[in-house]
Amino acid sequence: MDDRDLIAYAQQGDRQAFTELVCRYQDSMVSLTYRMCGDLRLAEDAAQEAFVRVWQNLKSYKPQYAFRSWLYRIATNAALDALRRERPTTELDSLSLADPGATPERSAEDNQQAVQIRRAIARLSEPLRVVLILREYQELTYQEIADALNIPVGTVMSRLNTARVQLRQELLVLLEEV
Amino acid sequence: MNLHVSEWLAAYHDGELPANRQHQVEKHLQGCPSCRAELEALEELSSFLKADFVPPQTPPERFAAQVQLRLPRASLSRTPQGAGQPPRWVLGIPLVLITVWAFLQAALKVATFILTADQVLGIAGGRAALLKNWIATEGFLETSANLLLFNGLLLIGTLILWSAWMALWLAWTRNQTETSIKGGVT
Repeated sequence: MDDRDLIAYAQQGDRQAFTELVCRYQDSMVSLTYRMCGDLRLAEDAAQEAFVRVWQNLKSYKPQYAFRSWLYRIATNAALDALRRERPTTELDSLSLADPGATPERSAEDNQQAVQIRRAIARLSEPLRVVLILREYQELTYQEIADALNIPVGTVMSRLNTARVQLRQELLVLLEEV
Repeated sequence: MNLHVSEWLAAYHDGELPANRQHQVEKHLQGCPSCRAELEALEELSSFLKADFVPPQTPPERFAAQVQLRLPRASLSRTPQGAGQPPRWVLGIPLVLITVWAFLQAALKVATFILTADQVLGIAGGRAALLKNWIATEGFLETSANLLLFNGLLLIGTLILWSAWMALWLAWTRNQTETSIKGGVT
C-alpha cells in the first residue's frame, strides 16, 4: 500500500495505517529533529510529539502539498518547541561534546569532526538552520522547503546561501584539513 | 559587468536550475576557474556535512508503540470507523422500517380477523361488532378487498423505501471510499 492510501485510511481514523506511516517516516523525522536538537533523546521525543500532532491534524492535510513537506513542517516546530522547553538558556558550546553516534568503528577524529559540524550548525540562527537542514540532510527541493516553512522560494535561496557562507566560515579550519 | 554565475551556483549545485539556465552555467564553468572553485567549495561543504551521522534510533516497532501511547484519549473515543463505513444512525434506518412494517402488518391482520370473524367463525360479539363498525366508518377499510389492496400497497411502499435506502447507502459508501483514496481532495 502506498503513502496516499495509508494517509487516506489514517484520515478515516485507521490507527494501523497511521502506525505504518510512523514506521515509514520515523527515520527521516528523527533525523530532522536530531539535526535541529543535537541530542538523540530530545530528538526522538520531539519526533514522537510531531507524530501526535500529525495524527491530530491529519484531517486538515491537503494532498496538493507533499506529505513529506507537511510532516517536516510539524517536526520542525516540534523540535523548536522541544529545544525551547528543554534548554531555554542553551549555551551553544554546552551541546554534547561526546558524539552520541560514536561507535568503536568510528575514529576519534571523525567523532570530533561530527561534534564540530553540529556546533557550527547550532550557531546558525533558527531560520537559517532549518533551511540548511531541510536541504542538506533531508534533501528537500526549494519548493518543498518553501511549502514546509510557508515562505517564498526566493527566501529559501537567500537563507540557504547565507547559511552556507556562515558555515564555511565556522568550519574553515576543518575544511582546510580535508 | 559581472559575467560570473555566482548567483546561480548554489541552485546549480542543488539541481534546481531550469534546463536553459543550467546549460548557461555549465558553459561558463568550462572557462572560469573562479566559479569552478566556488562550486567545488559548495560540493565540499555538502559532503563534509554528511560526516555527521544520526546515531542508531529506537527500533521502529517500539517507536511506533510509544507514539500510540502518546495519542490523546480524545482521539481514542472518536475512533474510527473503517474506511467507507457509514455512521451508526444510518444502520438504524432499516431496523425502523422493518419494525414499522411488522407493526402495520400485525395491525392489519388483527383488523382483518375482526372484520371477517363473524363470517368465518359465526361470532358476532359486541366488541367485534363495535370495532367492525368503527373501522367501517373510516370508509376505506370496508371490505377484505380493500384491506388486501392496502396491505399490498404498504408492502410495495416498504420495498421502495428499502431499495431507496440501499441505493443511497451504496452511493454514500462508494463516495466515501473514493474520497478517502484521493485523500479528501475538494
